[in-house]
Amino acid sequence: MMKRNIITLLLLGMMQPEVFAQADSEAMLDSLEKVWDMTLNEVVVTGTRTPKLLKDSPVLTRVISGADIRKSDATNISDLLQSELPGIEFSYSMNQQVSLNMQGFGGNAVLFLIDGERVAGETLDNVDFSRLNLNDAGKVEIVKGAASSLYGSNAVGGVVNIISRESSEPWSMNVNARYGKHNEQRYGLNFGFNTWKISNSLSAQYTHIDSYDMKNQGDYNRFYGGRTYNIKDRLTFKVTDKLKFTGRVGYFFRERNSAETTHDRYRDLSAGLKGVYDFSKATNLELSYSYDQYDKSDYMIANRLDVRDYSNAQNIGKAVLNHTFADKHILTVGGDVMRDYLMTYQFADNGNKKQITADGFAQIDLNFHKNLNLILGGRYDYFSESDMKHFSPRVNAMYKFNRFSFRGSYAGGFRAPTLKEMYMDFDMAGIFMIYGNKDLKPESSNNFQLSAEYTRGLFNATLGGFCNLVDNRITTVWNKAMNGMVYTNIGKMTISGLDANVSWKSTLGFGARASYVYTHEHVRKGEPYTASTRPHTATVRLDYAKNWKNYGLMVALNGRVLSKVAVDEFVSASSYDETVRVEYPAYTMWKLNITQSIWKGIDVIATIDNLFNYVPKYNYSSTPSTTGISFAIGLSLDIDKMVK
Amino acid sequence: MNKLILITLSGVAAMLLPSCNDVLGDLYDEPVATSEYGFVEVCTESKPGLIYINATDYTTWTYIDFENRRIDSLYVNDPAPSDWSFAVHRYDTKTNNAKVIATTLTDINEARAWTDAGNVEGAGDIWTTDKIVTDMSTMMDGYLSYADSYYNPVLSGWLNVDTSTMPPEYTMSDKVYILLLQDGKRAAVKLADFMNSAGIKAYMSIQYVYPL
Repeated sequence: MMKRNIITLLLLGMMQPEVFAQADSEAMLDSLEKVWDMTLNEVVVTGTRTPKLLKDSPVLTRVISGADIRKSDATNISDLLQSELPGIEFSYSMNQQVSLNMQGFGGNAVLFLIDGERVAGETLDNVDFSRLNLNDAGKVEIVKGAASSLYGSNAVGGVVNIISRESSEPWSMNVNARYGKHNEQRYGLNFGFNTWKISNSLSAQYTHIDSYDMKNQGDYNRFYGGRTYNIKDRLTFKVTDKLKFTGRVGYFFRERNSAETTHDRYRDLSAGLKGVYDFSKATNLELSYSYDQYDKSDYMIANRLDVRDYSNAQNIGKAVLNHTFADKHILTVGGDVMRDYLMTYQFADNGNKKQITADGFAQIDLNFHKNLNLILGGRYDYFSESDMKHFSPRVNAMYKFNRFSFRGSYAGGFRAPTLKEMYMDFDMAGIFMIYGNKDLKPESSNNFQLSAEYTRGLFNATLGGFCNLVDNRITTVWNKAMNGMVYTNIGKMTISGLDANVSWKSTLGFGARASYVYTHEHVRKGEPYTASTRPHTATVRLDYAKNWKNYGLMVALNGRVLSKVAVDEFVSASSYDETVRVEYPAYTMWKLNITQSIWKGIDVIATIDNLFNYVPKYNYSSTPSTTGISFAIGLSLDIDKMVK
Repeated sequence: MNKLILITLSGVAAMLLPSCNDVLGDLYDEPVATSEYGFVEVCTESKPGLIYINATDYTTWTYIDFENRRIDSLYVNDPAPSDWSFAVHRYDTKTNNAKVIATTLTDINEARAWTDAGNVEGAGDIWTTDKIVTDMSTMMDGYLSYADSYYNPVLSGWLNVDTSTMPPEYTMSDKVYILLLQDGKRAAVKLADFMNSAGIKAYMSIQYVYPL
């Protein structure tokens, strides 16, 4: 043990000469601790709704740190997830609307949260991913598998939680800019301060990209450009040591140049107030209210009219109580009440519907032994429009043995029929009607996971298997009697697979991560649905980071590899008897990101995307909208560091 | 603990009091409710007129009569009215034995100054069996239903609908078209818009000058 520590300390000395040139062994130990802490002692909240060390969480959680976000050069959550995680694919639905497939689960079966709060609105079953930008993101936590016992509806296939950055500095300010191919522009501002009992964080971002023609023909021939604005502010007032309030407000705007005559516009206004009171070291109570309104409108260029045809507004009240007893067990109880309002062009006469949902949940985190952790939980949800009630249980266990951590879990997931799915009455361009169905049952999943994690020094490997028994998935099915599509529950299906991850960090500044997912979707024959998930996907990152006295260098190579997939597609949209096999090709995309810290707080970033110049021969909706290799240059200024 | 639960529930209830649906509502325009169709603005010596028609129905031709400033919507297989100049079905057009010239003009106000210097003859209608779609709903069965009909390919070029991608791409030609009517008179038309103010397609706004 002593020998290995000495070697490690020597390596650390080589990595950071300015730190270790005159350091004594105690300082070296501190630095080693720091590196260790950064990699293994990350605090996560998404899996249990209470802060917990990543290595101690029985809920397997993937964390994409702030540093990793910067290495990926991602603008929004879709860029980041597909760069960092295998098993994730963003493709196009009709009209170039972005659609997620996460290990066999679609966008409406994966719950996206911002600081633990739901986001309103959807288009073709997916939230607006461009709204989930990363300008102020501190980290992203991903829990794969069902999590409805904590989060309720939509957490069927996983939860993605974007957690805002917090600064403890008296003040901090960053401005950044990026310019790339197709006139792609990104400008960001972050400003924060901490004074007296108040801290504030302001974030603003603007993005723009031109429309451009694809090099080859396909399901789409032109990429729709557009622009976005996103501004958020979060203010925290620490009234006393025991009482803290956090208020937030955010506005998002997106315009998509989808036609010469009209542009699609998307807006969102979110606001919230949260109070946390610590009754004692063992007990705290969190009360919060949040409002989120997501609108869609058509901007008609000729007459300059901006006419709204969709609005989803959610008012959510929430209460969570955490109580630690016997100094080691944590009880969490809570509940939410949500008022969900939806007006859409897909309802008859552009009408609107409302519903109240309410839930109560409880979870107990039992730590009987330092090596054994058990979590039991359950949640009961009620939905007023369908008069539907649903209970979601969970059991998680973790056992640590030497350098190994073994995790096993069972979790129930469900997705309640949405107002859209219950009440749609939409004429699809005179071709057919799409009807809602008030008698829909909730989608449900029973998720089983087993995993083993091995950690040694700065090396970490995880191997896991998962199985999801999915029932009553909701999709549109042709109904001959009604001569249209009707939202319908389909039969049971199974989604299972393997998840492997290896990461390594060198004390010399090198790092590597490789992740692989195998997914198998089994759908019974005769169902009006066929499997379409790529079976093999992998992501790779190699990076190097080193700081000298007045210069820093970070090089990151990110790659993703997606296997081909053969899909049995129905020959006719109105009959499910005959299929034809269509093969969607494999592809790989690589991005090289070089960041140079040239002076105090000044970073120059150069990016080469699609490094191997992949150009799809045919633009399927599942192939990336690329015209080949692209270059981007960026500049980031930490103003506070520059003036200090 | 009971007190705590009570405080919790009270807090949640209090927070839900300000429940609202619509903070952003003032940002939007209301679609202009138009129920007036036909010759909504009459052409004068100094300014062009405007014809506004509802061509959303796949099963009707809307007949436009410049002389009497009248429109009639008739079932596609019904005989045409006695007097008419040209007709519109969705974005398709046909004429009453007229010839159509696509000019290079984009401003209808300049139509009166237009001269056929090259003595252009103009394009007449053609007989078609696969242009005038009368039923889109059969698309789900792999085919479309058409009506046999005359069709003017030049005037129908006022709007190009590219259906090779979904959704289709719509491109207006922005051109002024000259109609050489069978009675020897002339008219100029330009498609100004193909949507109503709510963004619903096949509401056709047609600028015109008659007689030219």
